[in-house]
Amino acid sequence: MKQTPELDRIQARMQPGILTMKGFLGSDPRPLAEILAEDLAAVTAAGVTHAQIADRLAAITRQGTDLMEREVKVEDRFQVTVRDDRGLLPSPFGDGRFAKGDTEVADPRTGRTFRWNDLTLHLIRDHGFYNGRGSDYRLEPGELVTVFGIAPAAPGA
Amino acid sequence: MSEVVTGVGVLSAVSVGLTVLLLVAEAIFATYGECEIDINKGERTFKVTGGGSLLRTLAGQKLFLPSGCGGRGSCGTCKCKVLDGGGPVLPTELPYLNPEERRTGIRLACQLKVKENVRIEIPADLLSVREFQAVTERITPLTHDIRGLRFRLPEGETVRFKAGQFVNLVSKPYGDVTEPTSRAYSISSAPADNRALELVIRLVPNGLVTTWVFNHLKEGETATLIGPYGEFFLRDSAREIIFIAGGSGLAPIRSIVLDMIERGITHRPATFFFGAVKLRDLYYVEEFQAIAAKHPWFRFKPALSGDETGHPWERGLITDVVARSYGTLDNHEAYLCGSPGMIGACVKVLTGKGLPENLVFYDKFS
Ligand SMILES: Cc1cc2nc3c(=O)[nH]c(=O)nc-3n(C[C@H](O)[C@H](O)[C@H](O)COP(=O)(O)OP(=O)(O)OC[C@H]3O[C@@H](n4cnc5c(N)ncnc54)[C@H](O)[C@@H]3O)c2cc1C
Ligand code: FES
Repeated sequence: MKQTPELDRIQARMQPGILTMKGFLGSDPRPLAEILAEDLAAVTAAGVTHAQIADRLAAITRQGTDLMEREVKVEDRFQVTVRDDRGLLPSPFGDGRFAKGDTEVADPRTGRTFRWNDLTLHLIRDHGFYNGRGSDYRLEPGELVTVFGIAPAAPGA
Repeated sequence: MSEVVTGVGVLSAVSVGLTVLLLVAEAIFATYGECEIDINKGERTFKVTGGGSLLRTLAGQKLFLPSGCGGRGSCGTCKCKVLDGGGPVLPTELPYLNPEERRTGIRLACQLKVKENVRIEIPADLLSVREFQAVTERITPLTHDIRGLRFRLPEGETVRFKAGQFVNLVSKPYGDVTEPTSRAYSISSAPADNRALELVIRLVPNGLVTTWVFNHLKEGETATLIGPYGEFFLRDSAREIIFIAGGSGLAPIRSIVLDMIERGITHRPATFFFGAVKLRDLYYVEEFQAIAAKHPWFRFKPALSGDETGHPWERGLITDVVARSYGTLDNHEAYLCGSPGMIGACVKVLTGKGLPENLVFYDKFS
């Protein structure tokens, strides 16, 4: 994938202090095109799609929505809290605004914690963007597939 | 074949070069002279020097359209209707405009450059929006992650707003944040207290503006507030009122209840359901209890959804508490303030009990 001027503009909006305090790239120095290409390769290698990953995470969020920040155990495993923050956050790709409340997930089995929100899921589903390395919102596609048990789609499905 | 490719390449390079040259030349040499801005068909007109964005040009005339991103073209909140003189819609605006808005001349004021006379239409309420340089008089911790802030307006200035409306609080640059940034906060004080503005702000972890409020803003410091904005206010009717809020959503409800007392609105029974998870998340409880003790038309029902015991409050999700408090809702209206998730859940419960959706009020963008 080529780093186009459009990707340059998007990457500029991902810097700290523009849309959010810490931005979307963490300490990742690579061009956005490279970040997107590497994550696409990981997703393809796992035999799944960005949409499948986003759908799986959205389903977990749904279990915690409407609970006004009360923690809920999902699938007898994940401890999930959906924050009730107000306000909308713009997408760095300039294609919409998304509710700010984070879904916070702890997995006692692996000791891992995860954090995402409506914008994160949009960025995964529509842009294949999982944040840069070192970002608080970085999600490793391979790890998501393993921890949340995302199965490859059946051929022709 | 290779000649064709080379030809196309050269042509593209030349046209890119020309575009860059034109843009540079425009930036350096273009002066658009005096332009007239006409607002709401002559309701207000003024002359300005062209060249600036419409948003900044209007702000220069003390006219403040809502802005969530300080004019960077990334929030889509600075929309206004341009009747004449806006030029073509820019690619940077397209993601924020739906086909209907494009058809009817809605534009992003921060992207549109004033190059000629411009005629625009904005809601009349926005003409009374003002910018205040207020002194941070008091910062009060209300819970582990919520603070109350009281801003005193400059000597001789007063503010007019409807209880339930919000202002934009503008943070100053800090750390990696190099630009002032604004976020919306509901006013929690009563309109009668018109020499000050009170807000209730919840810390969002690593939130750009709330981190500034919690870690940088000090008592005695001046802060910029712009407003009032918003359509969330008490409707004139005789219906019984249901208020539902969670977290910082208490702020506008407090303003409305204080205003009802101030204006002597005693003929409308009102119940305020305030939802939280744990005891440590409740605040302003004594104030609302005192109001309930003094004003028979007002009831206060905090509810805790966590498993703490030994408290006098309702237990369970606020939606469950509301559900078990009412039968059919046939002479009520509801005012909700909280996250989209909370609002969605409450709307479901209320409409399920027969309350028409047009009698449920909340801030759409919250
Ligand atoms: C009408 C209205 C009234 C409001 N009234 C109040 C009020 O009275 N009190 C109050 O406390 N709030 C209120 N709000 C909310 C307030 O405007 C702010 O949205 C809120 O305070 C958070 O602002 P912030 O700048 O601190 O956070 P922001 O920096 O804008 O957002 C922080 C959030 O951004 C997200 N984020 C950060 N980085 C990433 C990333 N890399 N990827 C994905 N997501 C990321 C996370 O969800 C994080 O929690 C109101 C909002 C509206 C619209
Ligand atoms: S002010 Fe944010 S898009 Fe115009």
